[in-house]
Amino acid sequence: MTARLVAAAVVVALASIPLWMGDPYVLHVLIMAGIFTIAAMSLNLLLGYAGQLSLGHVAFFGVGAYASALFSLGFSVHVLPGMLLSVQPKPVWLAMFAGMLAAGLCGWFIGRIAFKVRGAYFVIVSISFAEVARLVAVNWVELTQGPMALNNIPALSVAGFAFLRKPSVYWLVLGVAIACFILIARLVHSRAGRAMVALAENEALATSVGIDVTRYLVLATVVAATMAGAAGVLYAHYVRIVDPDVFLFIYTVTMAIMVITGGKGTLAGPVVGGVIFGLLPEGLRALAIRPETQWIVYGVLMVLVVYFLPQGIVPALRGLRSRGGS
Amino acid sequence: MEQLLQHGLNALMLGSTYALLGIGLTLIFGIMRVVNFTHGELYAFGAYMMYALVMKAGVNFFAALGLAIVLGVLLGALLELVLLSRLRVADIDTTMLVMIGAWIALQNAEQLAWTGVAVSINNPFPAAPLVLGPVSVAWNRVFVFVMALSLIVVAYKVINGTKLGRAMRATFQDRDTAALMGVQIGAVHTATFALGSGLAAAAGALLGPVFVAYPSMGDLAAAKAFAVVILGGLGSIPGATLGGFILALVEELGAGYISSGYRDAMGFLIIIVILLFRPTGLFARKERIG
Amino acid sequence: MKVQDFLRATKFLTILLCAAPAVAQEPIRIGVTQPLTGAFAASGNYVAQGAKIAEDAINASGGVLGRKIQLVVEDNKSNPTEAVATAEKLIAKDKVPVLMGAWSSTLTLAVMPKLMEYEVPMLVETSSSGKITTSGNPFIFRISPTSEMEARAFTPNVKTFGIKKADFLATNNDFGLGASQEFSQMLKAQGVQVGVMETMDPKATDFSAQLAKIKASGGDTLFVTTAVEQATLILKQAKEQQVKARIITTGGSVSPDQLIAQAGDAANGSYHLVFFTPWFPEAVKNPDIARKFVAEWNARKYNIGGLTEGFRGWDGIHTIVEAIKAAGKAEPKAIAQALWNVKVKGINGDIAFIKQGPAGKESAQNVPSVYVVRIDNGKVVKN
Repeated sequence: MTARLVAAAVVVALASIPLWMGDPYVLHVLIMAGIFTIAAMSLNLLLGYAGQLSLGHVAFFGVGAYASALFSLGFSVHVLPGMLLSVQPKPVWLAMFAGMLAAGLCGWFIGRIAFKVRGAYFVIVSISFAEVARLVAVNWVELTQGPMALNNIPALSVAGFAFLRKPSVYWLVLGVAIACFILIARLVHSRAGRAMVALAENEALATSVGIDVTRYLVLATVVAATMAGAAGVLYAHYVRIVDPDVFLFIYTVTMAIMVITGGKGTLAGPVVGGVIFGLLPEGLRALAIRPETQWIVYGVLMVLVVYFLPQGIVPALRGLRSRGGS
Repeated sequence: MEQLLQHGLNALMLGSTYALLGIGLTLIFGIMRVVNFTHGELYAFGAYMMYALVMKAGVNFFAALGLAIVLGVLLGALLELVLLSRLRVADIDTTMLVMIGAWIALQNAEQLAWTGVAVSINNPFPAAPLVLGPVSVAWNRVFVFVMALSLIVVAYKVINGTKLGRAMRATFQDRDTAALMGVQIGAVHTATFALGSGLAAAAGALLGPVFVAYPSMGDLAAAKAFAVVILGGLGSIPGATLGGFILALVEELGAGYISSGYRDAMGFLIIIVILLFRPTGLFARKERIG
Repeated sequence: MKVQDFLRATKFLTILLCAAPAVAQEPIRIGVTQPLTGAFAASGNYVAQGAKIAEDAINASGGVLGRKIQLVVEDNKSNPTEAVATAEKLIAKDKVPVLMGAWSSTLTLAVMPKLMEYEVPMLVETSSSGKITTSGNPFIFRISPTSEMEARAFTPNVKTFGIKKADFLATNNDFGLGASQEFSQMLKAQGVQVGVMETMDPKATDFSAQLAKIKASGGDTLFVTTAVEQATLILKQAKEQQVKARIITTGGSVSPDQLIAQAGDAANGSYHLVFFTPWFPEAVKNPDIARKFVAEWNARKYNIGGLTEGFRGWDGIHTIVEAIKAAGKAEPKAIAQALWNVKVKGINGDIAFIKQGPAGKESAQNVPSVYVVRIDNGKVVKN
């Protein structure tokens, strides 16, 4: 019960920010942090609950961003020599759905293939997929404009309402984040979610009681991919430029750091991690710390958290509270 | 025909260094089961040590080479002792995350120390190439090829001919029995990691003077090392050696005849294809995939 | 007598006291977003250094509108998302009335929607993509040439060089691909045969595959467009593989001094398109200004290889300051309007803007001078 009250209070507090914070720069920082938190929450599903260290997650984010941008700008590409596929610019809300759908499809495809292997092999395969996606984005210039980037992407808009002002974008991102949070909570507490956690604990045992492991892993991947795709869509129409760097491994690492330091396998973990690591870079920029030093701090933090708080911050806090309570 | 020959020559040199990288990683990934994200950083470290020694301290090129390798071995040992000794029985996820953190910290420390600008390292070889009929190859590349092959032979001899090598292989096959037989597991782990890291540093020290050194040079090298290891099969040194040359050839031919832009994708595609169709690699011993 | 002295003293003091607040006025802030770290760090730092020299020179001669100028420099980390963040910070938080940036075309394109949103002008000092001035953004004022302009300026050299067949090797980004496209189009219009158009990853260090293809193609000229580190390696490897074609680098960012230092003998016989010739300043339109800049750069012990890019910062800041002077106030709309009519004597040449882009929403483009130099025996000489 208290958890719900706390959650509600947090939501109300977050929603009220644009009302009293007039500085558009701060809102910008919060919006970007929110977008990456959504991606982190989706990674948590795979990493935390299903126990698969998927380090190619940024592929879904990037596919969502590119697909949505391409559908809203329109594109024409030769899918076969002599066969030109032309798509007219679509309304933004339609493009956004196309983006999430594309990401979800990618999730299904990669899930089916990648889950033939496990453990370290799975990690490497997932990284490889993301890298191939990046190289395709760079080299298939006809479709993606390659390094010239897709620019002038139209702003977020749903049913004709354009999200041009910062406060409205902030509330949209917050809304999507809350929706994803609820969705993950529902999934985790459902039968499918329990199956996922079971196979994360002990795959052999789970199989022996009849759980179709691959099916649940693919399900987790599809949901996670669609959510990451949604984050990508928000990114594309907010920043309004998408280039192949959106597939960089370092973004997966950022999401992974958010999840792991926050607490993998907990609902609040990625949110806490997302807030910390979303705001930290801008805070460090204000302190005029060199970006290299900032990354060194991240790396060291990651190692320390894995050593001393191997479960993450949220579970550590819970542990403190329960000990203090009793 | 000339073009093909030229590609072949290029592939030989690159392949030898990929093999070095791969052997180093197969020791760490194959024997220790550590997904070593810092492997690329050791490669960069080797190159930067050459830069520091040759360009800043004026040390003789060949002496610097030896020194850079030794320093790489030492750094590897240090990393293992500081980071991994506590985690020897931890699950693979935790180790991976620690290695990622270390990778980020190392690469940015490299950038902080040397700035992001690429630096070149002078080599004592003549600038005019060695001309072999219709094709030509630079002397420094010939040197790299010869040195890399020698180091591969040395590594092979260490693993198969020395007591340490036997201890390593025993630990790989059955850790508990090896411990019961008196093998110092901790020391073996440190030595293996150090040896693998030393080979990566050697590859970097050799290639640095051929190209340039820059802080993120290790990322691509690490990716190729993983491709080589998976191609050749975990823990197999002949596999890694052959895998290195195969990868280089595929890259050269792919870049030459298909598309130069997708050159670096070849390694990743190989990883994906192999893991899907022949996960144990070309030469693997009995392997667990799950 | 004493009373008169006293009155005079009081008058003097009063005038002094009234003058003091005018001198203690707030400086005019000019935002600068450049890649100070990341892939383009070297170039971004050179531009920032050139801008600093301009800032100090302008302040030494009294500033503008009775106030000093102050550069607020932000690092966009060679990354489009960061570029957007720096624009947000500079405009929304630091409230600068005008910006200069963002170095690469992708970074500049990323910032452009912010300029429209906040209606603040930006001076583009390096980017070369045609898209920047044809996207219908009236807040863009570019002094650097587009690849198309560069190719056009090179046209007379096609005959003098006697180019019959040309190959291309470019870095795989907006800069390289754009240049290859524009130059090949120009050459085809001149009746020159275009051979292979190779690309490489901006991080690549081994070009043996591409060079083998280029050698097999057999062109007499190879156009190379990339950053100076890759250009160094290309020159060295081309020599190793015995590529016979004459090599011409485009883009103006490849410092011939750095090539000489790093590629040594392999650099001899290569040609370079630059937008500033510090080795013979008398060749540019305003030689005195050029000489003063070179002298100050060397006095500060900046890297001599950075001159071919640092001057952009100088030209950019001076153009902005001229506009502020003409506008009479440090206010974005006024500065934008004034920029259209400025005439500045810059290091590259005379700076003035023409309209470019869709009617009603044109951007401003300068028509700069382009120079061709050659490296001969370890020295840079006029072509």
